[in-house]
Parts: sequence; structure tokens; C-alpha cells
Amino acid sequence: MFDLSINAFFMQLLTGLQIGSIYVLIALGLTLIFGTLGVVNFAHGALYLVAIYLAVSISDAFGFGLALVLVPAILFVLGLAMERGLIQYFYNRPHTDQILVTFGLAIVIQELLKWIFGANNVPFAIPQWGNGIIMMHEWFPFLEGFVVYPKWRMILVVVSIVTVAAVFALLHLTTFGLVIRAGMRDPEMLKFLGVNINRRFMIVFGLGAMIAGIAGVFGGPVTQVSPEVGMHLLVPSFLVVVIGGMGSLGGAVLAGILIGMAQSFTAHDINLSTIIVYLITVIVLLVRPRGLLGAKGVFE
Amino acid sequence: MNTQQSFFERNRAVIIFAIIALLMPLWFPLIGGYQGLDTKIMIMCILVVGFDLLLGYTGYLSFGHAAFFGIAAYTTGIMLKDFSGQVIPAIVVAVVLSTLVSVVIGLLTLKRTGIYFSILTLAFAEMFHAMAMAMLQEWTGGENGLTGMMTPMLGSIKMQGAVVFYFSAIIAIVMFYLAKRIERSPVGLMMRAIKCNQTRLEYTGINARKYKLLTFIISAFYAAIAGALMVVYEPFVGHEFLGWHQSGEFVLMSVIGGVGTLVGPMLGAGFMLYFENVLSADIGEHWLLFLGIIFMAVVIFMPGGFMEAISRLQARFNNK
Repeated sequence: MFDLSINAFFMQLLTGLQIGSIYVLIALGLTLIFGTLGVVNFAHGALYLVAIYLAVSISDAFGFGLALVLVPAILFVLGLAMERGLIQYFYNRPHTDQILVTFGLAIVIQELLKWIFGANNVPFAIPQWGNGIIMMHEWFPFLEGFVVYPKWRMILVVVSIVTVAAVFALLHLTTFGLVIRAGMRDPEMLKFLGVNINRRFMIVFGLGAMIAGIAGVFGGPVTQVSPEVGMHLLVPSFLVVVIGGMGSLGGAVLAGILIGMAQSFTAHDINLSTIIVYLITVIVLLVRPRGLLGAKGVFE
Repeated sequence: MNTQQSFFERNRAVIIFAIIALLMPLWFPLIGGYQGLDTKIMIMCILVVGFDLLLGYTGYLSFGHAAFFGIAAYTTGIMLKDFSGQVIPAIVVAVVLSTLVSVVIGLLTLKRTGIYFSILTLAFAEMFHAMAMAMLQEWTGGENGLTGMMTPMLGSIKMQGAVVFYFSAIIAIVMFYLAKRIERSPVGLMMRAIKCNQTRLEYTGINARKYKLLTFIISAFYAAIAGALMVVYEPFVGHEFLGWHQSGEFVLMSVIGGVGTLVGPMLGAGFMLYFENVLSADIGEHWLLFLGIIFMAVVIFMPGGFMEAISRLQARFNNK
């Protein structure tokens, strides 16, 4: 049942990393938006949904290369539009209203896409260069014999790592990031200093949507393309945010990988793997309610 | 408190609701409703009244009430299938079990503030959904759902058609009456205080968590009764009963009708089921899209739902 050979362990590690990387990408956008704007975005799964359907349509019509460029760009604009057109009017309303309106938006988007594309899975063809397998034993000499892994899933992992690195670089190495981080800690003080925090937070919302776009382009072929996918991904991603600590980017990455690994390493037992995420959540809630890397007193 | 008020004055809303509900088989077909849908509306009325105590009065938005609805439904189904066709023991066992589960979920989810609460209730409901689909498949029937129950019986009366309707309607009236009593009680005051300013309430030395948990359990109790009745009404349990769609429907109904009023969510439940089953004949399968748009419009422009619309209209008439 539980295979302890080095090959099996390695494969489970890779699979865990791959599952986790999608969670990380979704959770990263969620936690960014929550940390800056204090908004719990129930429509974030729907943004992912828009991304995968856009990616399928564009890559079928004009090739994957264009989808790769266009989808994140469109999602960025969509995020800005969503913040300006809807979310900004909810900053001063109760959190429940924010949740309700984003939930309503999620339903509308999901039903709209269902109307346009049908309720069934739309096939997402992987581009030529992403097809095939990687000979893992050539890269990792400690593996025994012949070990292969789908190339596309490996690409997904690499894309996630690059995206996470880019977001961290943006937040920690640029002035823009410095202002955002300051705004996450004390938005009022920043306003007193004369910084226009609202415009920057709007961009953060766009960035969050853009990350969902990147996740959609690369995750679509793995998660399938159907109207239910958005919500299916949103729930574990929420838990990733909760486990990692709300508003903590590092926490989201850590928890995402943790959840991915937990699912991968329990995959041999269907009963355990379906509830492992919730078990971990319960344990974290009981032992450390603010999440693994959640700052004390922030959004408690 | 004005003790001079007569029973009828104090319970005007309940009496009006009772009259409308009990006469439903007479007037509902006139507007295109059919037998069975009225029963479903009564059952949903029970659920949303309890849900409103949590959402409208205490201010806690649960996205996981499908869990209590679904657990009660499955338990009732299993009781009717393997134990006996008698509905009373089935409903009692189902409601007790589901309410016990709510104690555990409540203790876990209420550890944190409102936002966490919404996310975590959603997550736990999804956990039960996943469990019904996988490890509990032998009992729940997994993807196919639970079927093959005995004909539900109340004593020697077959629970069918009009009998189920009046059974549900009477329970709905009683549950609405109880909710009204809770609304007026000290617990009801605590609920509103929690919604208003929880921190300040705690500074007065009151254990807010106790009241939050109590409200949560009461609302789960209402959901459990509705879930059990649903199976008596139609002997089938699908995994959708536990899904987030189901929880979402409760939220939609309550908000469209107007939370914090008890009556509003019932209006919303009636409207939504009517919309889904009667009006949707013209829209077809995309009814949820239109309902979603209505819902968003309500949240954005009229957070008080139908009840706010009614009181605005009233105000306009009074001014003229």
C-alpha cells in the first residue's frame, strides 16, 4: 500500500509539488487581495474559470503563444475593472456584503460561461513543445531505473516558482512593493503621509487576477476546463490561505505546498486523501488559530 | 414589556403566515404553482428562518448550512430505508445527529471572526460532501444518491401529497413562532448585540462566544428539520444536498428576501423556488444566471432585499 522506495517517494514529492503549485497560485492572489484590500474574494475561482476558458479559446484560434501573453493581460485589466466597477464600493460596507457580492459575481460568471461553453469539459490541447515526458532518472542520478514525469506538469511547477519569485521580488525589491507592504500593515498611516494607497491597491487587485490568469493558462490542461473547476479550486485555496495565515504571502506558499504534499502522499487511500485537507485545517485551527505564518493581531 | 397585548396582537405575523401557508393549496395553483412545490416552499421557509437568526440577527454568514441540511436528509433516508417507514423516529434521529455535528463545527468555526467563519463553514460542508462521495459511499449511495426507501408513514397515514404539505406547513408555522419568540427573548437581544458590536459586548462581561454557538446550533437545528422533511416529501437524497450550491441557495434566498426580518427570507425562499420552477419555464436552464444577477443587484442597491423594497414603497405611500 505505502511504497517506500526512493522512486515512489520522489514521484509523490513531485506530484505534491505540482498539486500544490496550482493552490499556491490561486491562494497567492487571494491572500494578496485580502492582505491589501481586506476583501475576501469569493469570485477568485471564477477569475480562474475565465482564464482557462479564455486560454482554451485563444489557443485554439491563434495558438498557445498568444494565449500565454493575452490571458494574463486580459485578466489584469479585468481585475482592475472589477475593483473599480464593483469592489471599491464595498470597502466601507460589512465584510459579509463583500463576500455576498463576490459570491454573486462568481455565480453569474460561472453560469455565463456554462451558457457559452456548455457544462461539459472542454478539451485543452497542450502545445507541441509541452507534450511528452521528462526522463527524471537522467536529471536525478539517485533514482533507480526508469522514471518519467509528464513534461507539462513540470512546466507548471516551474511557472509557479517563477511567479512566486516575481511577486516576492516585486514586493520586496521595488518602491511599489515597499508602499504596498506598508499599506498592508497600516493603511491609515500611509494615507496621512500623503500616499495614494487606493490606486496602488487597485493595481494589486489586478495583479491578483493576473496570477489567476497565469494559473489558468498553465493549470487548465491539468485541472480540466469545466464550469465547476473554479469552485472546486477555490475551497482548498481558501484553506491554504487560512492555514498559511490570512494576508501572509509566505504562508500561502508554505501551506499550498503542504496541502499538495498531503494530498499526494495520501493518494493511495481515497478515504484519507478526501479529508486530509480538512484534517490539517482543523489541527492548525486548534493549535495555531492565526495560521502558520500569520502575523499576530492581523485580521484576527 | 407590554403585557396588555393580547396573544393575537403579539403574534400577528405568525397568524398571517399561518393563514397564508394553510390556504396555500387554494391560491398557489392560481399563479402557476403546482402541488409539491408548495411543500418544498414550506420546508425551505423553515430553513431560512433559522438561517436568518444566524445571518440577519447575529451577522454571521455561513456558507456551510448544506452540511446540516444534508446530514439530516441522509440520516432520514437511511432510517426510512433500513429501520422503518415511520417518519417521527427518522426525523428525531436525523435532527439530533445533525445538531450534534453542528456543535462540533460551531466550536471549530467560531474560533475566529466573520470572514474566517464563512470560509470555514464552506470548507466543512465540502468535507462532508467529499465524505458522502467517497468513504461513506456504501451508506449514501455516492454519485447515484440514496434511494429505495419505504413509504414514509405517520402512524397509519401515508405521507403523500396534501398530508406532507400540511405536516410541513404546521411545522413551519411552529418554527416561525419559535423564531419570533427567540427574536423577542434576551438571547435575541444578545444576537443583535453581537452583530452590532461584539467587542463592546464582551467588555460588558458577556460571553459572546456562548451566544454565537447557541445561535449557530439553533440555525443548524432548523436546517436539520428542513433536511429531514425534504426526504419525507421526496424519498431521495442526492449528494447535491451537501454541496456548496445548496448552501449558496440558502444564502441567495435569505438575502434576496431581506435578512434580519425573519419574514424576508421566507419571501425569498418562496420567490426563488417559484422562479426556479415556474418562471424559469421561459428562461430554461439558465435561471440561476438570472437569479445571480438579481442577487447581485439586491446586494449592491438594496441590501435589505424585498423587505426594504416593501418598506420604501410604504414610506412613499405614507408621504403622499
